[in-house]
Formats: sequence, C-alpha cells, structure tokens
Amino acid sequence: MPGLPLPIRLSAVLLLLAVAVFPFYWMFVTSLTPSSELFASTPRFWPTWSETGVYADAFRKIPVATWLLNSLIVAAGTTVLSIAISLFPAYSLSRFRFKGKGIMGLSLFATQMLPEAMLVVPLYALFGQFNMLNTLTALILANTAFTVPVVVWILKGAIDGVPEEIEEAAHIDGCSQVGIVWRIVLPLIAPTLAAASVIAFFHGWNEYVFAQTLVSSESLRTASVGLAGFVGELSTPIHTVMSIAVIYAVPAIVFYMFVQKYVVSGMTAGGVKG
Amino acid sequence: MLHTTRRMALAGVMALAALPCFAGSALAQGKTTISFAGVTFSEAGRGDRLREWVDKFNKSQDKIEVTTLGLPFATFANTMFTQMGGGGGPDLIRFDTIDFYAAVPAGRILPFDDHIKDSDFKFSAPNDYLKVNGKRYGVAFEISNYVMMYNPALLKDGKVPTTFDELLAVTKAATGNGNYGYAYRATMAERNGFWQDLCNYVFGFGGRWSDGKTLTLNAPKVIEGVTAYKRMYDSGAIPKGADAATYRRMFWESKVAIEIDNGGVAGIFNQQAPNLAWNAAPSPFPTRAQGLILAPLTVNANTKNKDAAFTFVKWALQPDNQKALQDILGASSVATDVPRSADDLAKKPWLKVYDEQTPNAVPQLVGGFEVRTPELQQIIIEQVLKVLQGGMDPKKAMDEAQDLAVAKMSK
Repeated sequence: MPGLPLPIRLSAVLLLLAVAVFPFYWMFVTSLTPSSELFASTPRFWPTWSETGVYADAFRKIPVATWLLNSLIVAAGTTVLSIAISLFPAYSLSRFRFKGKGIMGLSLFATQMLPEAMLVVPLYALFGQFNMLNTLTALILANTAFTVPVVVWILKGAIDGVPEEIEEAAHIDGCSQVGIVWRIVLPLIAPTLAAASVIAFFHGWNEYVFAQTLVSSESLRTASVGLAGFVGELSTPIHTVMSIAVIYAVPAIVFYMFVQKYVVSGMTAGGVKG
Repeated sequence: MLHTTRRMALAGVMALAALPCFAGSALAQGKTTISFAGVTFSEAGRGDRLREWVDKFNKSQDKIEVTTLGLPFATFANTMFTQMGGGGGPDLIRFDTIDFYAAVPAGRILPFDDHIKDSDFKFSAPNDYLKVNGKRYGVAFEISNYVMMYNPALLKDGKVPTTFDELLAVTKAATGNGNYGYAYRATMAERNGFWQDLCNYVFGFGGRWSDGKTLTLNAPKVIEGVTAYKRMYDSGAIPKGADAATYRRMFWESKVAIEIDNGGVAGIFNQQAPNLAWNAAPSPFPTRAQGLILAPLTVNANTKNKDAAFTFVKWALQPDNQKALQDILGASSVATDVPRSADDLAKKPWLKVYDEQTPNAVPQLVGGFEVRTPELQQIIIEQVLKVLQGGMDPKKAMDEAQDLAVAKMSK
C-alpha cells in the first residue's frame, strides 16, 4: 500500500469505508423513508427529514431508554467483571510455572467451543436455584463466563511483553506481588486492557440468547431483545425497527470511537520485542 | 485529577453493575402474580389491545394479577422450551399448534380436565384437536382460516382468479414496476410459516400428509400440491427471499397483489391500513380445503400458581370476554362460538369469506401422527426445498420424504 499513489490509496480507503458504513446509513435512510416509498422500485438514497418524528416516537411510545440503560448496565458490568476476574489468571499464566499450566490454558480455550444455546438450559436452572432469574446480575455473570477466557488470553499476551526486570526492580524496592500487578503491570498494559474491554463490552451489549431466556420482565429487557420483539409473526413495523436499530447502534459506535486509539495500540502491543 | 476522574468513572460503572441485583425483586403487593407469554402481545396493532383485554381480568380480581410477556416470534418456541426445560417459564403460554404437540408428550403443559369441563363451555369443533389421548391440554386462544387476499387495484381488469392456472396468469400479469403478483414463504428461516403455506397448497389440491394411520407424503394429490408450489416459485411473480412480515407490509403498501393468508393478518391490515381497499375470496385451488391456525392457550407444568392460571383461563372463556377477544383478533375466531355482529359483517365483507372457510379448514398437522408433526415437518420441508431450490423432481423428492418419514416413525 505505501508504494501506491495517493489517489489509489484514498480510493481504496473510501471504498472500504463505504462498504462498512453503508449498512448503517441504509438503516438510517430507511427509518426516515415515508411509508409509501418503502418498497419503491427506485430506492430513495437520501433521508426525508420530515420523518424524524419516528425517533421521538421511539422514546415516547416505547421504553427504548430503559432498554438502552439495561444494555449499558449489562455491558458495563460484563466489562468490569471480566477484566477484574481475568487479570490475575492472565498474570499467573504469563509469569508462574506450575503443574497443569498448559492444560489450564487450553481448558480456557475449550470453554469457547461450547455454544451459548447449549449452556442456556443448565444456566437457567442454576440461576433459578439461586433466585437470580429475571435480574441483570444473571446476565452479567453469564456473559462474563463467556468473555473471561478470551480476555485472559489477550491480557496474558500483553503481560508476556512486559519486561520481567521492571517487576524485579519493584520487588527489590519492597513492592508486594499484588502491588506489582496493580501498580506496575496494569498501567503498562493499559492499551490492551482497553482492547479487552471493547471485546467484553460488545459481547454484553449485543448478547441475545441469555437476555431473551434469563430475563422475562419487560422492565429489565435489553435493547437486543426489545428490538427483536418488533419482528412479529404477522407484521413488522419497519420504521420502528430501523429507528431503534440506529439508536441501539449509536452508543456502541461512540464507545468504540472513544477507545479506538487504545485498541489499535493494544492490538499491536507486544508485536515488537527486543 | 485524571486519576480522580477514572476512579469516579469506575465507581459509576460498578454502581451501575450493582444496581440490577435489586432490579428484579419487585413483587406485586399482596397479589399472586402470574405471567402470560405470547408472540401476539408484541404485534403491532393487536398487541396493545390484547394487553388491555388482560388488564380487564386484572381489574376484575383482587388476588390475582396477570402480567403479559410479548416475545419475538422467531425465537418464541425455543425460549419457552428452554425455560420450561430449566424448570421455569411463564405460567400461561399461547403456543402455535405445532409447538403444542411438542409440549404435550414432553410433559411441559398441564392437562385441563380437572379444571375446565367441556360441558361447561360451547367449544367450537377445532378445540377437539387440543385433546391428546382423550385429555384436553389447552383451549383455543385463536382459530384462524386461510383464504386468498387480493388488492383489486393491482389485478388486470380487476379479474379475481378462481383456478390455479388463473392465479399464475393473474399474478404474472400483476408483476412489474416494483410490484409483485404473489407472495408466500419458501425458506427454512421461516420453517413454520413455510409449512403453513405448503399445507394450503397440498390441502387445496386434495392431498393430505396421512390417511390417519399411514403416511401419504408421496400420494399423487400431495405431489400435485408440491408441483404447484414449485410452479409458483418459478413464475417470477414472487419476491423471493422476502419474509412474511416484509411481504405483508408490501401488500399493505400495494406492492403485492395477492397472498393466501390467515384471519389474523386480515385483522392487522384492517387496523393498521384502514384505507387499503382489499378483499378476500376462496383460495383458487381444485378443492376448498385450506390450513387452519389453531393457537392454544396452555398452562405450564412448572407453574407454582396452578389455580390462578386456571382462574384466568375460565375468565377468558366467559362469553363477554370471548367476544372482546374475537373483536381484537380480526377475522379469527376464539375457543367458543361467538356470532359476528351484523354491523361488523357489513363493515368488513371479507369476514364472511373467512368464516365460510371454517367447514373446509384442516389443521396443519399430520393426522394420526400429531405429536410427531414437528419431525415430519422437518423432513417434508427439507425435501420440498430440494424441489424449489435444487430443481429435484417433486415425485422423487416426495418418494424420498415418504421413505425417510416411515423410517423415522418406526423408531
């Protein structure tokens, strides 16, 4: 790519951008297309601004704000818990030698091979026994169980890249093992933490199967389930679905834009060693 | 400063995460609260009115409260069976027929006989299909016939087809300029809907999936129905890939001329698109037989509030409440016979067409193999997809279906 002329590089970037952004744009345009033109033989490529009332209706007539708040709670809870639980196992896998280390690492990966649909019945029964059905806590725990293995391996890779000499120096200065992880390692792997957070956050934000099954109360519904609820047996209110889909996508896009510079540096962290 | 901000942000996130621990613990004050799940509660138009109907029950009670749960259609059955398999689930469930027949042998729903006596209510004939081995496991929440719905404005010279060949010709003529002549389902993604549409063709051509004792998947009349389904698929008159919700909306927007659909859809068009000038006629097949939607109201075997659940069922079966429910459901009918008002029949001429279809309505089940219909449905749908998408000869496909089904039923 660096050897190619600027116009070609620019065109390639614009093409990729168009492919990535167009579905979102089309969703937005459809949400603002008058009903009579929804199935027109010549599609409308520009939004009709007079139709913006669908967005006001989404908040006025539908509990979209509640759904988004529930999704935010689940996503944020999953992120915080995943990082908190994964940090020390990742450090152990990176720094310590112990019996069964290899098997433990592989076992973490093996859990990723079980689909959510297979685990949802036992999880439902388990949460039922603990009286945790119909709570967002159950969703946070279930989602965390799926994100922790990935996060552990991502963090392990980053910790591998932290020179042990830095930790030895801290140890000589009297820092405890936990203090080393908290004060020395954690700041050094901050970009990777951001990358892992994005993965955990999006898992919690988008998750559907657990949210649909473990929670039945409509006041605790997440946005993914709320949105799917409009796809009915007999009819689907297309404007409502598209407008809520746009609203649902925006917080996730904003979150990603906020952390993307950390994500990029986190993804490349440890790429160069020496 | 930066550290303080980060800590505050972290504390905020932790607080948000802790919040839900308490969020699900709200209890109805002094009332037994039971839940009632159904896809109909999330339907545009009918959903809100059905919730109001349930609220009427809540207002009539001081010890029981029913909360409604509207769940997505596509995952409704999976969610219900997952929750029931895990020992929970809603107390009352509005199932589709095919899921009802999966729930009964699995022991997921309760028999009604100790609570609801047939002699106490004037149940309509289709309610008998909700008895398995002589026991009643549900009462009809919605019974709906299939007829041909058409938009006269999109038909050349307003000609309404009365035979299948005419249907093909009329729908081809109506296709073009972004309009389609006809729409139905033909993808595995909409398995149940595909099955319903296929049953209409097979039944309409005089076929049945069994004679009550033996499977007849490769009987000549069944093959005729499948062949007709394929002819329509290849006609160029259908919006291939459009799901039912989309093509129904297209009909509503005058982009689809004809579809064969149930009375629930008629009710939605009437409520959501009151200015749409559409009408109904018997489906243009060699016989008048068509499928029947029979959605039963059932009680979850895991319920801890059996008496409360059956109190609601009894309330729902009272004449006034049946009439109110029937009015909400459109051209569908309910568990007991409720006559239409003269005013209703005058305002909605299509109601008569739907009601007159009742003597020719056949449940979309495999007679004599009702509880195994889901397994047979899978085999039949897979084979018909080979005809539609793979170009397989309909006779060969249905011969294979028969062999596969017979082998499966012998296990």
